[in-house]
Amino acid sequence: MTGLILLPLAWASLAFVLGPGRGKWLAIGGLSAQAWLAFDLAAKVGAGGTALLHPVGGWGAPLGIDLAADGLSAVMLLLVQCIALPLAIHAGAYFKRGDAAGAYFWPLAGFLIAGLNALFLSADLFNLYVTLELVGLAAVGLVAAGGGAQQVAAALRYLFATLVGSGLYLLGVALIHGAYGTVSIAILTPLVTSDAPRLVWIAGGLMLAGLMVKTALFPFHTWLPSAHGNAPAPVSALLSALVVKASFYLILRLWLGPLAPLTSAIAWLPALLGALAILWGSWQAIRAERLKRLIAYSTVAQLGYLFLIFPLLPGTDALEAGIMQAFAHGLAKAAMFVAAGVIIEATGRESVMDLSGAAGHLPLTLFAFGLAGMTLMGLPPSAGFLAKWLLIEAALDRGHWGLVAVVLAGGLLAAVYVFRVLRQAFLLAPADAVVKSVPRRLEWVAFLLAAASVLLGLRGVDLVRLLGAGA
Amino acid sequence: MRRLLVGSGAAVFAVLLIGALLEPLPGGIDLRIAVASHMAASGVEHPVTAVLLNFRGYDTLLEIAVLLLAVIVILAGGLDPAVDRPRAANPILQSLARLATPPMIVVAVYLLWAGAFRPGGAFQAGAVLAAAAVLLHLTGLLPSWQRPALSLRWGMTAGFLIFLAVATGLLAQGALLRYPPAQAGLLILLVEAGLTVSLGLILAGLFLFLSRDPGDEE
Repeated sequence: MTGLILLPLAWASLAFVLGPGRGKWLAIGGLSAQAWLAFDLAAKVGAGGTALLHPVGGWGAPLGIDLAADGLSAVMLLLVQCIALPLAIHAGAYFKRGDAAGAYFWPLAGFLIAGLNALFLSADLFNLYVTLELVGLAAVGLVAAGGGAQQVAAALRYLFATLVGSGLYLLGVALIHGAYGTVSIAILTPLVTSDAPRLVWIAGGLMLAGLMVKTALFPFHTWLPSAHGNAPAPVSALLSALVVKASFYLILRLWLGPLAPLTSAIAWLPALLGALAILWGSWQAIRAERLKRLIAYSTVAQLGYLFLIFPLLPGTDALEAGIMQAFAHGLAKAAMFVAAGVIIEATGRESVMDLSGAAGHLPLTLFAFGLAGMTLMGLPPSAGFLAKWLLIEAALDRGHWGLVAVVLAGGLLAAVYVFRVLRQAFLLAPADAVVKSVPRRLEWVAFLLAAASVLLGLRGVDLVRLLGAGA
Repeated sequence: MRRLLVGSGAAVFAVLLIGALLEPLPGGIDLRIAVASHMAASGVEHPVTAVLLNFRGYDTLLEIAVLLLAVIVILAGGLDPAVDRPRAANPILQSLARLATPPMIVVAVYLLWAGAFRPGGAFQAGAVLAAAAVLLHLTGLLPSWQRPALSLRWGMTAGFLIFLAVATGLLAQGALLRYPPAQAGLLILLVEAGLTVSLGLILAGLFLFLSRDPGDEE
């Protein structure tokens, strides 16, 4: 369990020592080992059926910090390693030697992944804050890396949003500590009751609000399209697929754990915001001019689905729907950004209108884009279909027809923006179009991720079973 | 108008928060008792150092990573290719800075040593070292840093790597960062010594990588 945190910390700092642009093989080696560790941990959690505990320092909560891995943590850790490894292979081919944008990619990505893994394993509210800072700062660095004025401006906006988010969260943690004298989730959970003092309510509200800013839930999404749309392709993929999921995971943890007695009254608020995010994000994606901005707005929309599950909680099918959506969107969106990166690299143009002819030159990439689009639309047998199916089933069980309508409308809107790209790509190219050749490895990574997002639908049962372990 | 809205919003929130703070709170857990009863096994005599380096040492490990990361983010953002011109030196300031630097280094070492039994430790010692570097830079004795050479990169990372190696090595004891009580004091001193040097360089770097002589902006 600790290897998943220590390994990326080690290769990230060694990559920094090696110097600008170096550390690719360290990273790929480390990530391969981490992928093995994550599968091993998932097998252990799945077999034991209970959460694994690791008291750091041997002290145990409340004096020390506990690490805990249950089914939910194991699934999220699998998601991180399964996306980070192909993206590292992609980034290795994407950044050329001496490329300013890639000079510090490896150490930054390493600290980002270490922060994510530490976040998914931590069972201590303050320790979670430190991991949030690690993730947020690394993500800002990746967006800013070597970029022009526009990219740095996007990074600064992102920095501001992420600092506000973690600041609100920290204030909440401080108030909780003041009220109960501990920050251990396991100890807090039985202490917080529905007749908790007002201070605890305020603290809970602050923590949730801060995390919603970090997850870019509508109307706090304004920082996301510029940050994710302006970064280099592998960075956009990492941010859209993984970073926003981390704060969502933490909302889920708090919602199901210590804050459970307080949240029943406001369960419809995140769902309402999620529904608005789906509609607004899809609309903006349909209107977007630049390809990467379209994909970034699609992230805003897809994150909305994650918040539709809150009125359906606690219920295992709702949780399964949310996590399946997180997994499906992670794989599909990573594939989409990688594919977009390949197209932009090959044609040298960023606008959707300039895509004409791309299908003829880059068939594999376009195929990958289409497969990823399938997952976003929710066509069978993709994982996206499974997620929406579970969500609709859970909503129908409780008679919430409104949620069903939103899910179906969201799928149709996704079809509109995906087909907008595909249609343009299949048009004949203008005669003067110049297409550079790109390394095949770049195209294959996009295809692999997209195929995984579709095929995962067939093995969704395993994921669902793992999720149930130790919950 | 907007300022008024934000200001009144903040004021309402502050009043709410103060009102909530005045309510009686449920009796929480008092960690001071737990800290006091485990002091003997912590390897140090000062409770703050015991919490930072032993009981919650994992937090500190990640915080050092955050500081190192901050320097990397600044470097990744791209430094302006500035020409480092010698600025007009003020001999009085320079000789004062020359006088002040050796005692500052001694103070840093003392703070590091004192952390075991009174307020002090690696963070404070590193901050004093960094302050010495900033002082030398402001008086024109130390140029601003351009690109970190290999030795500087090692220096900034070494403290973190030592801490990481100790944490990993202690896995043999059954848990991450589980110091055996007999060697805890020595290991903590080793970690803190590494951190002092690296934190000094990192904090100085946060200033010196960004610092440009006023003449450069023309």
